[in-house]
This record gives sequence, C-alpha cells and structure tokens, in this order.
Amino acid sequence: MTARAGRAILPAVALAAAVVFPYWADRAQPYYLQIAINVLIFATLALSWDLLARTGQLSLAHAAFYGLGAYTSALLTLRLSIPIPVGILAGGLLAIGAAAGLGILTLRLRGIYFAIATLAFSETLRVTTNQLRFTGAATGLVVPSLLGGQRVAQYLAILGVLALLVLVSWLINRSRWHFAFTAIRTNEEVAATMGVDVVRFKVLAFMISAFFAGVTGAYYAHVFLFISPVESYSLAVSVGALVAPIFGGLYTTAGPLLGAIGLRVGEEVLRTSLRSGYLIIYGLILTVVILFMPRGLIGVYRSLTRPGTARRAP
Amino acid sequence: MLILGVLRSGLYSLAAVGLALSVGVIGIVNFAHGEFLMLGAYFGYWLYVSYGVDPLAAIPLGAVGLFALGGVIYRSAIQRVLRAPELNQMLLTFGLSIFLQNLAIILWTGDPRVATISYKATAVTLGGFTIGLPQLIVFGIAMALTLSLFAVLGRTRIGKAMRAVAQNRLGAALVGVEVDRVYLLAFGLSTALAGTAGLMITLQLSVSPFMGLQYTLKAFAIIVIAGLGNINGVVSASLILGLSEAFVEFYVPGGGGWAEGVFFLLILLVLVIRPRGLFR
Amino acid sequence: MSLLALESVTKAFGGLIAVNDLSLTVEPGEIVAIIGPNGAGKSTTFNLISGLLAPDRGTIRFAGADITTMSPALRAHLGIGRTFQVMQPFHDMSVLENVMVGELFGHAVPKSLAAGRADAETICAQLALTHLAARPATALGVADLKRLEMARALATHPRLLLLDEVMAGLTPTESRQAIATIRTVRDGGVTVVLIDHVMSSVRDLADRVAVLNFGRLIASGSFAAVAAEPTVIEAYLGVDEAQP
Repeated sequence: MTARAGRAILPAVALAAAVVFPYWADRAQPYYLQIAINVLIFATLALSWDLLARTGQLSLAHAAFYGLGAYTSALLTLRLSIPIPVGILAGGLLAIGAAAGLGILTLRLRGIYFAIATLAFSETLRVTTNQLRFTGAATGLVVPSLLGGQRVAQYLAILGVLALLVLVSWLINRSRWHFAFTAIRTNEEVAATMGVDVVRFKVLAFMISAFFAGVTGAYYAHVFLFISPVESYSLAVSVGALVAPIFGGLYTTAGPLLGAIGLRVGEEVLRTSLRSGYLIIYGLILTVVILFMPRGLIGVYRSLTRPGTARRAP
Repeated sequence: MLILGVLRSGLYSLAAVGLALSVGVIGIVNFAHGEFLMLGAYFGYWLYVSYGVDPLAAIPLGAVGLFALGGVIYRSAIQRVLRAPELNQMLLTFGLSIFLQNLAIILWTGDPRVATISYKATAVTLGGFTIGLPQLIVFGIAMALTLSLFAVLGRTRIGKAMRAVAQNRLGAALVGVEVDRVYLLAFGLSTALAGTAGLMITLQLSVSPFMGLQYTLKAFAIIVIAGLGNINGVVSASLILGLSEAFVEFYVPGGGGWAEGVFFLLILLVLVIRPRGLFR
Repeated sequence: MSLLALESVTKAFGGLIAVNDLSLTVEPGEIVAIIGPNGAGKSTTFNLISGLLAPDRGTIRFAGADITTMSPALRAHLGIGRTFQVMQPFHDMSVLENVMVGELFGHAVPKSLAAGRADAETICAQLALTHLAARPATALGVADLKRLEMARALATHPRLLLLDEVMAGLTPTESRQAIATIRTVRDGGVTVVLIDHVMSSVRDLADRVAVLNFGRLIASGSFAAVAAEPTVIEAYLGVDEAQP
C-alpha cells in the first residue's frame, strides 16, 4: 500500500462510519443521535473559525454570524413562508455580507484589538436583537422544523455541510491560498511587499468562514426549534468555536474536528456529573493547552510519530 | 442624569485602572480581569452574610487576598507566556476567565445574590439633588483609590520602577530594576484593584458569576478609549462611558436595554476610527 | 527616464518629520546607497517606496507611473522588491516555502503551485540555500536569514530591489559574498537601492551615494565626493558607525 493510499483510507472510513451511524443510532440510541448532531454543529463552527484564524484573524464574533444565520432564516421562514433550505442559504449569505463589512472595518486591527472589536460587534448584535420587537426581542422565536423533524435526515444534512467545509478547508491547505494565508498570519507587511493581496485574502477568508457559521446557525434554529438572543449570540458559541481548534491543532483540517469531538464528549460527561458550570472544561483545556501543548492534539500526535519535527514556534 | 453618569464613572475608573496597569506595565491584556472583580464581590457578600462585616470594612482584607491570588496566578501561568505570541497570552487569560466563571457557578450556583445592607436605600440630598448614599460612598472611595494609585506611580520608588518598565523593559532591566518583581507587583495590584471594585459592587448591586465579563468589557472599552496602556487617560475615558450610558438610559425609549449596547458600540467605533485611543 | 523618482516627498509621525521634502531619482541599472545617521529617515524612505507608508506630501513615480497611492502588493507586481532590516521570516514555513510566496504572488500574472515551487528552487540555488530549503525558517542563523531575505525579494523578480542593511552582522567573508551576490543581481538587470552602515561595503558597491540627515537629502554623488562634503562630515561627527 502506498503512503498516499494509506492516508486516504482514514478519512474514507471516518466518512463511511459517519454516514452509517444515524441509521444505527436512530434505532438503538436516539439520544446519541442528538449528541452527534450537536458535535457536527460544533465541528462545523470550529473548522470555519479555523479558516479565518489561518489569516491571523482571531475572531470572537463567530456567535454573531451564527446568530445572524439563525435569525435570518427564522424570520424569513416565519414571516415570508420561504422554504427552510432557502432560508438557511439566505442565513449564510447574509453572514457573508456582514463579514465583508466587518472584515473591511477591522482590516487594520491586529491581535487583541481585532478580537475585542469582533466581540463588540457580536454583543452589539445581541443587544439590538434583544431590543427589537420585530425579532421577538428577549422572548425569542419559535422556528419551523427542518425536514419534518426527521432526525436521521437532519443529521445527514449537517454532515453534508461539514463535508463541504472539510473539502474547502482541505483544498485551501493544498493551494496557493495556503501560502497567502500563512504569510499574512505571520507577517502582514512582509506578505504585502511580496505581492500578496492582503485585503483580498483577509476579507475572502472572513466571508467563507462566516458563510459556514451562518448556515450552521440557521440549521441549529430549524433543528432545535427555538432561538433567543442570549443563546444565539452567546459568548459560549464563540468560545467553543475557538477552543476546539486550539485544542485539536490550529490551521489544520483534522485538528478542529478532533478538538470539537473531544470537547463535546468531555462536556457531555461533565454535564451528567455537574448540574451547571460544566463549561469549566473549556477554560481548563484552553489554559492547559496554551501552557503545555501549544500545537494541540495534532502537534502531540506528530511529535509522537515523528520525534524532533514538532518543536517549531507556536 | 449627569450626576448618575459621573458617579458611575468612579467605579468604572477603579475597575479599568487595574486592567490598564496590567496592559501598560506587563503588556498582558487580562481577559480574566472581571472575574477577579467577581471574586472580590463574592468575598464581600460572603463576609457580610456570614459575619455581618460591612463590605467597605472588608476592603483591606479583600485587597490583600486578591493580591495574593493574583501573585499565584502570575507565577503559575502568566509568567510562562510573557515571551509567547500575543495570541497565546490572550487565550490563556481567556481560558482563565472561563475557568473562574464556571468555578463560581459550581461553587455558588448561577443565581444572582443580593446583600441587604442597612444603608443600601439611604439617600442624601446634595445641592437640590437626591443621591443614593452607597453610590456616593463608592464614588468617593473609587476616586480616592484611583488618584492614590496615580500618586504611587508618580512619586514612589516602586511606582517609578513600574513606569520605567512600562516604557522600556530592557532599559529598565539594565539600570537594575528587577523586572520580574515589578511584573508580579503590577499584576497583584491589578487584581487587588479589581477585587476592591468588586467589594464595592456588593454595596449597591447584586452579585453573580456572570458579572465578570461585563466589567472586563467595560474596562476594555475604557482603556481602548484612553489608548491601550495609557493609564492617565482612564478617568476621562470612564467619564465618557458613564455619561453616555446614563444619557442613553434617560433619553432613548426603552433605554435600559440599549445602555448595555452603548459601550460595545463605543469600543467598535473607537477601534475602527482611532485605534490608538482618543487621548493620544 | 528614471526608474524611480521621489518628488518632494514628506512624511511626519506626529510632530517628528521623518522624511522632509525629499527628492531623489534612481536610474536603471544603478546601485545607489542611502546612508545617514540613525533616525535620518532611511527606513521610512524604503517604506514609502514599497508602499507600507503613504507620504503626507509629494509624488513617487516608478518607471514613469505615479505609484504614490498604490498598494504594496501592486507595487510588488510592478517590480519593486525589498528586504527588511529586522529579519522577519514566515516562521510557520520552510525556507523553500518562504521563497515560494514571492514566486506565487509577486507577479501580475498568478503562477501555479508547481511552477512556483520549481522557480523558488532555482532562486534557492542562486543564493546557496538549497541545502537548507526543507528547514523551518526559524532554524536559520543570521547570515542564512539575510540570504533568505534576499531570496524572498528576488522571488518577486523585481526591477528595483531595495536592500535594508543586508550586510549588518555579517563576518567579512560573508559580507564579501553578499557584495558578490548583489553585483550578480545588478548584472542580471536589476536596479539596486541599499541602506547600509558598513562604509567599506558602500564604497565598494555603490555607483552613487545619497546622504540623509533629519529626513533631508544633504548630499548626493560618488562615494569620494560625498565623503569630502563638510555637511556630511558634520552629520556623522561622533557617530561610531561612520568609521570606514
């Protein structure tokens, strides 16, 4: 077996298992199906966050796109009776628009300034949604169900979205874009003087990332059937989206997925033992990872399999 | 309305000046700043409910306790990322913030608690205006502490060392300042100030594990308006925030809810238009 | 027609005027050295030419076209390449990948990944970096990093190459090699403007020397001519780096 074929087997097996899983779970353990949908939502958010992070933009605004997607689709389907899939797509498109705007406004901001600005953007949206009667204000909205509420079909739908995102992420990491993203992340000015169109790539990354976050948010609305400003624009969404890639391994396709699965399973375990405050795991993991394993799970894996190559600057 | 805004700005100054110290001297933007404030508030609540100690009387003890906690956290975590990329520093304190917040939820549940202190509802009349007594006391103490911090920075040896380190880490080390000790002190002082601000919140508002984030963000807003690391701009920036919040509450219909959004909008505007801050 | 022309360019930071009414032209095929005491505005001038800073006043022309407000990336596409005084490799990339960025994005017509890799390998060979190509850029020593800086700039195939202190911190042998490389680059048709504090290198390399002090051009001409100018001697008096 060639190394290339060997590397292709693992994703293929994972995909096959992911497709078969709901049919088994639906009969044996419906609760697992629910958790699996949760994990897929989380993984999609995490990978979309990572795409943006590859250009050095550390967003705390993923809840903003998630919430925008959820509200756009909810309002369109409720008030204008638009078909749900179209509503979800519209949610993603509106998120793209918002990302383009925010991306251009925050172009000059780096690091912590950028993070704070995006957080402020997200919180402004939350407060606004909370105040407007049009969006159901603080009470929230009851949202129609996707695919008639069939869990297996719903599961396959988000799996499809994630598969598309994985494909996008994988293609980006194998293309010229990968060089542009990495160069911008490590040094914007040098990248610019070497001919990289920094503005274009940063805004593009923002738009792609926001699209998937928006679609995921809209999907979430139509699966959990209820949205409110506190939940949709919650900081926990943004935090989850950033902790998973850091835990799993930044700037890779597999890392955010691994991180998302690990975190959600850990959260689920803690949720049963602690009634509240189980989010503590995010804080703990974030602190430990930054202090002791700056390259995440993928980095630990690589240093185990290829000793000596993993010690690069974080 | 004006008075309300001004009074509120006192507490904001105190909350923000600690963060400004951490940013200015150490270069660490501490996302967990508000959580230290929250811990201070719980400390005050606990002392009051269990032993009937007035939160104001608890300030010295609370400040010392939070100073020690800050020191421990500096030594065990912050110190390790001083030379790491800014991203790692930010994420570390962010993780700390989530950790402390949820620890508080586990220990004390998520429900807000209120300390019913005897003079909480007392009001005094000053020049024709009626002002809540706790608000007035808090404003007085907060301003006194903020101004004495300025005095410490301006006059004393350790204050001068801090300013020297803030301006030039290497240079200060060369002339014999023990940079690491200064960092430890600055971080401890920063958390102690946050804790003190928290104790004073016990005096007038409710206490909950979620209160930290709000104050972290307000403190951020203030130091962003002042210019990151510019400690002197903090008081004026706090005034801007306090006044604009009060303004929105009074003049915008349904203003109570919108006031929350004011400082986010302020941060966004200032960052986008003048990333270096208004006072530089 | 001059390849590069700065016309009355001024740039201030707050109250400090870093570049003051500077006019300077560079002819095709020249090697021009910009010298001057620390803080004279040399690096600011490079930032203005490469587009990282916009001038407050004045015009910058490249090959006749007004590029005053053009983005750095577009200037790179037109043919302006540069190195940085403080070496800043892309640290998540190997040496070869660092160079590839220039090959992939430094041209008006985008290059494919395969073509970019092949051309980057050629550049690495020219600068004796082939044996280091697979190493992470952070693993290099000073002399190798300086060559990597130059390789990245050359990968954009510039018509004008701006070199910011590429010889600082090198041993005499390494400096001689760098000088030889710069000559080869010029003989290949690239115009060179360099900032340097090492006067012997400037004397050996430069066809023309421009002297800046407090953001103003105080002298311009052959090395011997400017070295004899009283204003230049005055500007350098007591500055250690001016020792030949």
